[in-house]
Amino acid sequence: MRRRDFVKNLSLSSVAVPFIFKDLKFEAVSKKLFDFSRAAEDRVLVLVRLNGGNDGLNTLIPLDQYDNLVIQRPRVILPENTIIPIDATNGFHPVMTGMASMFANNNLAIIQNVGYPETNRSHFRSTDIWSYGSLDQATNTGWLGRNFDQNYPNFPEDYPNEDYPDPFAISMGYEVSSTCQGLVGNFSHTVINPTDAVNVGNGSALNDGTYYGSHMEYLSTIISQTNAYGVTVNAAANAGSSLSTLYDPNNPLALHLQNVAKMISGGLKTKVYIVNLNGFDTHSAQIEAGNSLLGVHTDLMKTLSDAITAFQDDINLLGLSQRVAGMTFSEFGRQIADNASDGTDHGDAAPLFLFGSCLSGTIIGPNPTISNIIEDQAGIPMQIDFRDVYASILRDWFEVDETQIQSLFDYPVNFMPLLRACNLGINDLSKISFDALVFPNPCVNEAHLQFLCKDEWVKAEIYDLTGKLITTLVDKKLEPNKHEILFETKDLPLGNYQIYIQKKSGNETVKFLKLRTN
Amino acid sequence: MIPDQEIEIPISLSLTPYTGVWTGAEAAHLLRRTLFGPTFQQINEAVTNGMNETVAQLLTIPIYNPPLTVSVNESVSPFGTTWVDSVYPTDLIQRQNTENARRDSLGAWQFELINKQGLSIHQKMCLFWQNHFAAESTFDSRATYDYHMLIYSQSLGNFKQLVKDITINPSILVFLNGAQNNVFSPNENYARELLELYTIGKGPQIGEGDYTNYTEQDVQAGAKILTGWTIQNFLSDTVTDASSYFEPILHDTTDKTLSAHFGNAVVSNANENEYSNYIDIIFQQEECAKFICRKLYRWFVNYDLTPDVETTIINDMATTLISNNYEISLVIEELLKSEHFYDISVRGSIIKNPIEYLFSFLNSTHSKPLFDISTNYQMYLQTYWLCGSLGMSYHQPPNVGGWYAYYQAPNYSKLWINSSYIKLRFDASSYLTIWGGIDVNGNKLAVNHLIFLDGLSVPSDPVQVIEDLTIVFCPKGLTVLEKATLKTILTNGLPDFEWTVQYGEYASDPTNPLVATPVRQRIALTLDSLFKLPEFQTI
Repeated sequence: MRRRDFVKNLSLSSVAVPFIFKDLKFEAVSKKLFDFSRAAEDRVLVLVRLNGGNDGLNTLIPLDQYDNLVIQRPRVILPENTIIPIDATNGFHPVMTGMASMFANNNLAIIQNVGYPETNRSHFRSTDIWSYGSLDQATNTGWLGRNFDQNYPNFPEDYPNEDYPDPFAISMGYEVSSTCQGLVGNFSHTVINPTDAVNVGNGSALNDGTYYGSHMEYLSTIISQTNAYGVTVNAAANAGSSLSTLYDPNNPLALHLQNVAKMISGGLKTKVYIVNLNGFDTHSAQIEAGNSLLGVHTDLMKTLSDAITAFQDDINLLGLSQRVAGMTFSEFGRQIADNASDGTDHGDAAPLFLFGSCLSGTIIGPNPTISNIIEDQAGIPMQIDFRDVYASILRDWFEVDETQIQSLFDYPVNFMPLLRACNLGINDLSKISFDALVFPNPCVNEAHLQFLCKDEWVKAEIYDLTGKLITTLVDKKLEPNKHEILFETKDLPLGNYQIYIQKKSGNETVKFLKLRTN
Repeated sequence: MIPDQEIEIPISLSLTPYTGVWTGAEAAHLLRRTLFGPTFQQINEAVTNGMNETVAQLLTIPIYNPPLTVSVNESVSPFGTTWVDSVYPTDLIQRQNTENARRDSLGAWQFELINKQGLSIHQKMCLFWQNHFAAESTFDSRATYDYHMLIYSQSLGNFKQLVKDITINPSILVFLNGAQNNVFSPNENYARELLELYTIGKGPQIGEGDYTNYTEQDVQAGAKILTGWTIQNFLSDTVTDASSYFEPILHDTTDKTLSAHFGNAVVSNANENEYSNYIDIIFQQEECAKFICRKLYRWFVNYDLTPDVETTIINDMATTLISNNYEISLVIEELLKSEHFYDISVRGSIIKNPIEYLFSFLNSTHSKPLFDISTNYQMYLQTYWLCGSLGMSYHQPPNVGGWYAYYQAPNYSKLWINSSYIKLRFDASSYLTIWGGIDVNGNKLAVNHLIFLDGLSVPSDPVQVIEDLTIVFCPKGLTVLEKATLKTILTNGLPDFEWTVQYGEYASDPTNPLVATPVRQRIALTLDSLFKLPEFQTI
């Protein structure tokens, strides 16, 4: 049997279920499940790819590490008094006023120190790793592509069709996105200007089973998809609108995002949009000589911040805020120390941004620790695996079943609450799996920490927002179970705290607020 | 669609000289892979001359004249002379205008060379090296020109020497920050790409900072080894040439220890010769030969490096390359004459890149601008920009790894085509075929329909016209239905003899527009349809 037949048969047997459900009508299924499905069905994820490796340390500056950053990066460091503080220990690049106010309005969240073990500092390999969501050299499908493959079998042959007339993903510009590469086709449809009508005629050619044949089939499919998707994209963009006045016509990222807003508001059912911003490989002249407030990276930060701010404003004005969320990503951060060319070389982990109205947290994970000694080639060590971020987004945003999510990754993923604020039943402890929880929260004299673990060593510590360790709640091997630890809070100063739970089955961070003292 | 894993495997996995049939199909395959669009005549001559003679001709390198000044914005070198050895003006605005003019001149000149390729593989090799040493044009076009001349002179020469020359080339020292790499603060950019992209390539990551063939330690040591090389006289208003030089004060003189992948070799201080010693050490690894052979294979044969191809073709190519001390022409000659190269399974296995696409119909139809040099350059500049819109800006690869289609699994050359690009490709072919072409002051560069038609074997026979078009443009032919459709377009649906009569009237009075225009319109519409077939997109 040829592989394609195998794939077809496999998909017929495993994916036939939703179609049977459809015939039985959804009313037969529980109301709650129906609501879940519909909400997730309408959701849109916008990926903003920062191409070249963004310097996280000059994007989100850990203010508690500033003195050591001065030692490490005397040239590119931003003057302390120009950094926009967003909480007690973190601040944004001075041009990121828009994202700072998004953060204040709970439309922006930050995940600290995202990466993967033993960073590959090749742009190409690391971009593949981030796009594919896999460290395995043999993987060449994207993390979103694999999920699409599970839900939409026989792509691209059988699409578009009556049930799915719209592209599953749209990549703005000229390149399809590797994140959407499926087993056979790439799920992302490229769009330059969605308001342009498209018709590229007819093309059909036979696949004779050779390399040439696969090109013939590919070209024929692209020609027919270009025509078919062109019609729905065009109709949606023309029917849609854009209400924000914040888009800068000279900001190419903003214009792409404005088109995305038009397509969403025009009713396109596309689930994922990808936009790109190039130029982050700042080995030299990251800043203007002698003035770190100007230069390439500053321009990029402004472009990024302004564009995302305008887009979020638009989404809010269009009443789509419950349906649209976004994420930035870049193939790696840069080294802690700068180089003599006013630049920074390839590094490791970096912060990642989520935006939207359904965010679960504000800053997830502790600040990086910067040494006062320059170590050759040192980057920021990874603390949160990017695959955990992907898995959590799939769970929280698209409400994909956890077992299916795990099947997409060659690594035991850990879930953390990222985009759950608009979901139903998030406090339902009866769910098979759940995230660590502190209750009551806010608390006064005492609180409970609840978490699940396997047969493993668990260490849970409370930190204040300056990163100071307050106390250790547990540090021992536990039975596989749901555990609850009661701890006193009456002597804690007022304010926000984080509990950092380390365990092999997945680290978790949970925040709580000490409200008042009795 | 069929996943690539199960595509039919080649019948021959051997570099043994090909001795099978030598017809138009084989000759056209060789020429489509080595030229930017062969003509019908070139294909016929290759059939007559045979494979060995044709490959020998392809491996000759033409002599080029340097790019010329045609723009009024150039304020140093006079109109019609070359600017490559001229200073820049002192005035800043004039300098920028002059540089812009030189950059345009370089782009136009490059496309003129492709348009006037002759029977030489040379331009295909130059683009190969531009993709391999993928540097953007730098801010002094004299240096950009020098980079391309280096590639031109060594394109069929010695790979090891080319890497050495590239390492201290002024454009590359700017592009990959070598000029800023010094003992006080090493910049790793070039040192990393030298290993990862230029010579040995990265293997799977097998440990922290260990990429099978080299480690982060080697990147760091390499950066130190390469310290001291920097640049001078960029945009100079007194010196006619931007160059590189070695500055001992900037060089790290300590011993540099390489990783176990290079036998823990210690590179001791050798000042301006140290980079060369280091590159010699890198090239002692067989992997360097395999790395470049894989890229040559992808460029000339097929994107799919199956385990079988690895253990046969790539190994054999690498052996040839090493036993000839990294001379490139011999390994290419062997490949182009091999059984595997002509295997039916790899015919048509490459989707044309934008330059191959555009010049497959311009060059195959003898379409050249034949006006004054200023008009010609403006037309070439427009073709240069057009290819940029289609996804391939010569002198501006998208990143240091070159164009995605040559490395990005699993799609490779399919990446040249998506819903954005397919529309632009079809618009571009219609523009040059039926919509009048590139217009410069009323002069037109367009597909040369009648000269192309007149050069076919029996232009008065519509069946034979379609057969000839198929040989020139379609690697694996067309279906009966497609041929019939094209013939219907050519004959306007009339019986074949009507075309024969119409062509005959034109042939006996070729300058009479009353008989020439209808013939030109029919062949134009036929070509326009052919250029939109999936079959035409491959080589």
